[in-house]
Amino acid sequence: MNPTGPLGILEETEEEHLSTPILGPSVHSENSQERIQARRLRIAARLETRRREALGEYLDGKKESEEDQTRSYKQKEESRLKLAKLLFCGTELVTNIQVATDIKEIQRRVEEEEIKRQRLEKLENEVKTSQDKFDEITSKWEEGKKKKIPQELWDMLNTQQLHCAGLIEDKNKLINELQQELKTKDDQYVKDLKKQADDICLLLERIEEQVKSVMKTFRQELAHIEKAFEIERQELLANNKKKWERALQAHNAKELEYLVSRIKKVEEYERQLNKQRIWDCEEYHMIKIKLEQDVQILEQQLQQMKAIYQLNQEKLEYNFQVLKKRDEESTVIKSQQKRKINRLNDILNNLRLKYTKQIRQFQEENHSLTSDYKRLVIQFKELQRAMRRFAITDDEKFREIWLMNEEEAKGLIGIALDVDKIIYTHHLGLPWTAPDLWFLKNKGPISQQLKKSATEIVEEVLMQTEDEGPEENVSETGSYLDLPALGIESEDDLYKLVNFFLKYQAHHLPWNQDQSSVAVGLESEKFSLEAGKKENIPEEEQEEKEPPPSPRLIHPNDVLKVLEAFVMGLNRPRDSYMPLKVRKEVRDNSKDSEYWEALAQVLPVSRQNLWDALYAALEKYHLILTERAKLLVENSSLEQQNTELQMLLQQYLGSKINSQLQVPPTQVFRVPNKES
Amino acid sequence: MQPVKANVVTPLVKSKGLNAANTRRMRRIIAEDTEWSLAIVPQLTELCIQHIVKNFQNNPILKQLIPAHQQKVLDHLSPDLPLAVTANLIENENYWRRCCTQRWPVCHVSRHGGSWKRLFFERHLEQLIKHFIPGTTDPAVILDLLPLCGNYVRRLQVDQFLPPVRFPTAPRDRDHQSDSGSEGEMEEPAADHYPLRDLVAGLKHLEELDLVYGVKDCGMNFEWNLFLFTYRDCVSLAATIKACHTLKVFRLTRSRVDDEKARILIRSLLDHPALEELDLSHNLIGDRGVRAAAKLLSHSRLRVLNLANNQVRAPGAQSLAHALAHNVNLISLNLRLNCIEDEGGQALAHALQTNKCLTTLHLGGNELSEPTATLLSQVLSVNTTLTSINLSCNRIGLDGGKQLLEGMTDNKTLLEFDLRLSDVAQESEYLIGQALQANREAARQRILSPNQLSPTINGPEKPAG
Repeated sequence: MNPTGPLGILEETEEEHLSTPILGPSVHSENSQERIQARRLRIAARLETRRREALGEYLDGKKESEEDQTRSYKQKEESRLKLAKLLFCGTELVTNIQVATDIKEIQRRVEEEEIKRQRLEKLENEVKTSQDKFDEITSKWEEGKKKKIPQELWDMLNTQQLHCAGLIEDKNKLINELQQELKTKDDQYVKDLKKQADDICLLLERIEEQVKSVMKTFRQELAHIEKAFEIERQELLANNKKKWERALQAHNAKELEYLVSRIKKVEEYERQLNKQRIWDCEEYHMIKIKLEQDVQILEQQLQQMKAIYQLNQEKLEYNFQVLKKRDEESTVIKSQQKRKINRLNDILNNLRLKYTKQIRQFQEENHSLTSDYKRLVIQFKELQRAMRRFAITDDEKFREIWLMNEEEAKGLIGIALDVDKIIYTHHLGLPWTAPDLWFLKNKGPISQQLKKSATEIVEEVLMQTEDEGPEENVSETGSYLDLPALGIESEDDLYKLVNFFLKYQAHHLPWNQDQSSVAVGLESEKFSLEAGKKENIPEEEQEEKEPPPSPRLIHPNDVLKVLEAFVMGLNRPRDSYMPLKVRKEVRDNSKDSEYWEALAQVLPVSRQNLWDALYAALEKYHLILTERAKLLVENSSLEQQNTELQMLLQQYLGSKINSQLQVPPTQVFRVPNKES
Repeated sequence: MQPVKANVVTPLVKSKGLNAANTRRMRRIIAEDTEWSLAIVPQLTELCIQHIVKNFQNNPILKQLIPAHQQKVLDHLSPDLPLAVTANLIENENYWRRCCTQRWPVCHVSRHGGSWKRLFFERHLEQLIKHFIPGTTDPAVILDLLPLCGNYVRRLQVDQFLPPVRFPTAPRDRDHQSDSGSEGEMEEPAADHYPLRDLVAGLKHLEELDLVYGVKDCGMNFEWNLFLFTYRDCVSLAATIKACHTLKVFRLTRSRVDDEKARILIRSLLDHPALEELDLSHNLIGDRGVRAAAKLLSHSRLRVLNLANNQVRAPGAQSLAHALAHNVNLISLNLRLNCIEDEGGQALAHALQTNKCLTTLHLGGNELSEPTATLLSQVLSVNTTLTSINLSCNRIGLDGGKQLLEGMTDNKTLLEFDLRLSDVAQESEYLIGQALQANREAARQRILSPNQLSPTINGPEKPAG
């Protein structure tokens, strides 16, 4: 490598600034061999100094502990400083190139500026001179125009041409110069490029070198540090060994001391032990004697206890025997009992068999009886129906007879009363009042108000409801309830139902009374209940109706519940009801005789007496009347005689002879005519 | 062949009558049976898994399996399966690791949050964008991928945007280019690059956007046209980053961003809810652009601002200093390779006297000299937050170095102070180095952590290693 210009400068600067303390071969020299040598020298020197230091320290025993601590530290510090220096110097070495190029660049710039300035000056001068020349030439043109002589003109033109050529030549020269400069610049550029490449090469080399040396020195320093540590460690080991030995010796001495003291102690303890043993022996004997005495006493007690034990044993044996006997007895009894139990079990089984048999038997019997019963019930019902039919027919007959008799009696009574009336009015001239007697109005058998038939009741009710509430749909009420479906056959049932309703209401619904919507429903229901009883009830059974309790109001929702409860209750007493009905059929005929008696007594006795008196008087009056009648007959016969006589007279008078007579008879007879 | 066969057959024939079955059982290889093999018949589950693996593209069954079988299936899946099948189905890192290692020889999974899946999708997407040629490539190629990778991509690092290809007009362009350095307005609309708007809108978790509008490895085929960040590109990008509320880091480097474009971009970033780092290094930003950036400092929660290698001069640095004086968010400011000169440096130093937040300040290569150093030494004795200052490549001078050394004696927090190539006396630099060393030790003691050296290790060395 050829050291070029800038590198030369660089080397100078290096020598100026990096003057290392080591003389001779420089670390920063260009020659690599030289540098290596320089480094080796440096390292050797360093090692030597360190060894010297180490030796000095080693010999110097006083500072040992202090030095020990600092030696490795020192070594580290030293290495570090050296390395730092190395690095710093190396870096400087490398950056020197940059600095060198910088200063070169500055110089170049200065020069460039100078050249530029000169060039500009030159150009300006040139411009000025050429302008002058040009002005001269142009002024000469003016001059030329004035010239008339061709010779002169030609001369002048020639000179002008020369001038112009000179001017152009000048310019060309300048251009050539500049081009020359440019060329040199181009060359310079190439050179610069080359130089740059060289510089970069140098830089790279230096960097590499630096890296290598740094690595080397780092390794070396590391080795040194390691060595220092090693030495330190060895020293430490030696020291510690010494310490250890010393400690061991001290320990041994102490051990011996301890041993002696221990032997002494052992002897003393032995003495004490012996003493203790003797004392213990004595005590042992004493205790032994005492304990033997105790043993004797206890043996005596044991004997006593044995005797007691024997006694007890005998007693217990006896008891045992007794108990054994008892046990045997009890086993016998037990077996007996067992046998008894067996027997009783057999009996029980037999009885059970019997019982089951009987149950079966009774069940069969029961079956037959129930079937019999059913049959009988059916028969009974039929019988009842027949009886009812008979009763009805009997009733009919009774009623017919009754009516017939009554009619007859009434006819008679009517006759009597008529007679009475005639007597009173015609004969006595008294006002007659018809006797107002209850039995006169009676019709049909007594004690039996003629009840309206069920249909009539319904009709009546319907009329009533129409009057009260025309809004009620009447046609529906009839079919409102199907009473036979409910099992209501009689009026009593009906009333029971009504009462049931009322009770239910009283119990359950005391607060719902004024619900008008329910009222209608209940009323209609009641009426329909009444309507439903029609044929089922025989007339005889019908008794005086209690005045129906004032209709209370039941909520329609409750009606169904009530009905259900009622039906349940009604179905139960159905069977026991039948005989009651039969008994009720016996009729109360106590009043019949009275009734008939009363009928007979329609005219009181006073009136009969009156009648008797009247009869007697009338007898007399009859006699008079008969006499009078006789008289009347005589009278009438006399009158007839009279008239006949008159007629004869008339005939006589009317005859023609009279007329011929001077005094007619007629005139004489006029006066009697006039009288009649 | 022949003798072997004979050898095998004859004993069989001999012993056939006696214990043919026995020998058959005893022997481990039977020459006559062509289908015979030592392998045991695989289990049905194995067969099923093989089948699933074979037909995974048409019938992806994974979630229904028990974990052990899932693992087996994943171990045997081919990394070439279409992403449409695997993207949202497979979470297994091992599978994605295989995918990644198959495609790229070097994979730094630690740079992608330790997730191979994320690494795969991010690099896949980056590759697609890198090779996207506007007008030629179908935009659907990228947009189709969007529903698949939307959940996994957090960073987009595109260091190349290809310009549209213009075959017929190419020669004429080249003439133009050689004649005039700056591109004519009429060429611009045709030179637009791939618009990121749709893509970024679809990436729900995008946090980092690292873009370079340029072509890599152009070598001797260099044309200015290849590095043209057009006005329309700029407007589109501005709208894109404005709409992306999850964006934390935005880098747009080496893209010839000038003042106007920088202003457009920064205006769109004002009051951005999440932005923490803005990197516009290696561009052409002048004082106006920096003034916009200074405004952004007070209108956002920006923590890192990198304006290295731009054209910032004293007025820009002054405006930055003004914003910095009372800022409480910014912890790192990089103005390397600018030209703020003493005027700007002094302004910044004044600002640092009141600032209580900035920890890293890079002012390398800024033509600073003694007056700035004087003020900075005052800052050093007062400020307790700064941990790293870089003043390399300036002209601090011997006196300036001495003053800085004075300032350092009172400082207990600064850990890095780069004064290379800045004309400082070796002695001063060495003493400053000693002071820094002491500070570093103190800091290490404070946090009681051996990783104190990590900033120095990680910074520049990581890219190489």
